[in-house]
Amino acid sequence: MVTIRYRTRPLPAGNCVDDRLATLDAVSHVSGSPSVEPLPPTAGRDPFAADPGAPWVRVSPRLATARRMGAVAMALLVGAAGVGVSVAAGGPEWGFLVVLVVLAGLGWVSWVIGRQVRAMGYVERADDLLVVSGVMFRRLVIVPYGRMQLVDVTAGPLDRRFGIAKVQLHTAAATTDAVIAGLPTDQAARLRDHLAALGEQRSAGL
Amino acid sequence: MTQTQSSGAFAPTPPQHTNPVTAVVKAGQVVPVLIFFMFTNGIVGATTGSQRPLLGAGAVALVALWLAAQYVSWSRFTFWFDGDGDLRLSSGLFQVSQRRVQLSRLQSVDVTQPLLARIFGLAEVRPEVAGAERRSLVIGYLTLGDAHALRAELLARAAGVRTTAPDTAAPIAPESVLVTVPTPVVLESSLLSPAALVAVVVIVGMTIFAVVSGNPLAVLPVFIAVVAPLAGAIAPFLTFFGFTVADSPDGLRLRFGLTAHQLQTVPPGRVQAVRIQAPVLWRHRGWVRVVINVAGSPDAGEAKDHPRILLPAGPPEVAHLLVQRVLPGLEIQSVPLQPVPRRARWRAPLQWRRLAAGSDSRAFVARHGWLVPTWDAVPHARIQSVRVSQGPWQRRLDLATVHLDSTPGPIKPTAVQRAAGEARVMAAEQAGWAREARRRAPPDRWMQREPGTDEASAP
Repeated sequence: MVTIRYRTRPLPAGNCVDDRLATLDAVSHVSGSPSVEPLPPTAGRDPFAADPGAPWVRVSPRLATARRMGAVAMALLVGAAGVGVSVAAGGPEWGFLVVLVVLAGLGWVSWVIGRQVRAMGYVERADDLLVVSGVMFRRLVIVPYGRMQLVDVTAGPLDRRFGIAKVQLHTAAATTDAVIAGLPTDQAARLRDHLAALGEQRSAGL
Repeated sequence: MTQTQSSGAFAPTPPQHTNPVTAVVKAGQVVPVLIFFMFTNGIVGATTGSQRPLLGAGAVALVALWLAAQYVSWSRFTFWFDGDGDLRLSSGLFQVSQRRVQLSRLQSVDVTQPLLARIFGLAEVRPEVAGAERRSLVIGYLTLGDAHALRAELLARAAGVRTTAPDTAAPIAPESVLVTVPTPVVLESSLLSPAALVAVVVIVGMTIFAVVSGNPLAVLPVFIAVVAPLAGAIAPFLTFFGFTVADSPDGLRLRFGLTAHQLQTVPPGRVQAVRIQAPVLWRHRGWVRVVINVAGSPDAGEAKDHPRILLPAGPPEVAHLLVQRVLPGLEIQSVPLQPVPRRARWRAPLQWRRLAAGSDSRAFVARHGWLVPTWDAVPHARIQSVRVSQGPWQRRLDLATVHLDSTPGPIKPTAVQRAAGEARVMAAEQAGWAREARRRAPPDRWMQREPGTDEASAP
């Protein structure tokens, strides 16, 4: 056992001086010429582009089908309720209008789903996993293998019908939120095993 | 992840109960609530004279029932240490649930004394453990002496100091006081708060109204409006009264509180991120506040009765000294920061001049805030994951935000409104630094380190 020795330093006398705060500010002052380091050649304008030589592994288009089916079920539910209410309150022409609106909404949602699913991707690099997603609100997550605490694989009833699964990575941070949905089941299992092995190898304490 | 100790390296202890007075204190806590509820809801007002005794009897019966429930819950709760050096908790009436707490992942130990418990000389012990625990662990109530003994035992076992004889208690590590925040500073800093400002505005407004209308009683109905901001201004004073930071081999000990008293212990190397705030209301004094992230249960970081404050108010040198203790080698001031591009003003019109971020070999620092200039610092070794996000408006401006994920707590280090091209490089760089730094991380059981390596040389 080794006792830890702290350096002891006397507390500075005096109370408060404005320029001490100023020093805190001055080092990182905004005005003046900012010295931005030149970007490496790989840095493009798009932060969500794939690394050269390591393209995004895209998820299965079956995910889009599964999500569209969910949307159709929702539309049927909303549509039925809407038609019921509007026919009772207004008349058949109102019911027709509701059907049109629901159909238009369904078309839009289905288009958005297609774009979103096409935007999802991941890539396993030597030391970390990159996950990219989103069209309007885009995001990229970098999870170092040594930080993974859990790898979850989940598949709902609809997912199972389409033979896809969702892989989710957890770290000690609640905000990590690295989810890869719509992987073919065997690929998901392979990814999980691979990640678990890498995580074991490189795990570090908090 | 955790260092596996050979079984039996630690001496197990027999199951222990908390202090029997616990049930009384816990039941007693509902009495003011019950009285307040009965009066404010007009239950008392609605009853006539003959019904009053009945009402009183009902209230007493309710409290007695609650007391019985608390007694049963107390009698079922036991805790002990097992042979692997971990803490075990057992509770539950019909379905006994056991929890095993991995002390190698202990993040901090707090000894808190709510007002009522303090009157009885009791305290509760709250060990914070990193991991997926939703609720924080609370062991209470114990007498103050027992609570301190348990705290010392927890820290000794977590440090990896082997206790072979179960009868001898772990010695309470000696301490030396580093910083005491003087009462005038606590008072003034707490009065120079937005809440106090609101209170002053409300009082002035009411006075003017009373004078102009010529009827001082006219303000009475709205007088309640001054209570909330006034309470908000006084609360920090009550909480942080007598704030003292002491150094011990267990880690830093923070003690504070006028009515309710708290003792927090943060072992070495357990602080995940640091935030320094310099509110504009304190500028003439030059004071700053220091907030820390300590890994623990997700709700612990936000809880009001459980603040993660390293310094409620004080001059920057003191803040610097304390930051040096919890994250040795971290020099927030010397980390070169890069400002955001000028176009960021469309997205962050108030604070864009203050937005900046950068990193050196040890840590990442982000500066932000308009009325409260804030510096967030996180050592590379403590970064869990890195994210880049971009909304539609940011995309138009060719901006992106880089998030460094820390454990749950008040600090969420973020470099907002960076140039989009730079964001990806920054994120990749941070991930790279984090990987490098972790390779040289110190062990979980901090007393078991090899000779020659001390905190200062660890990243």
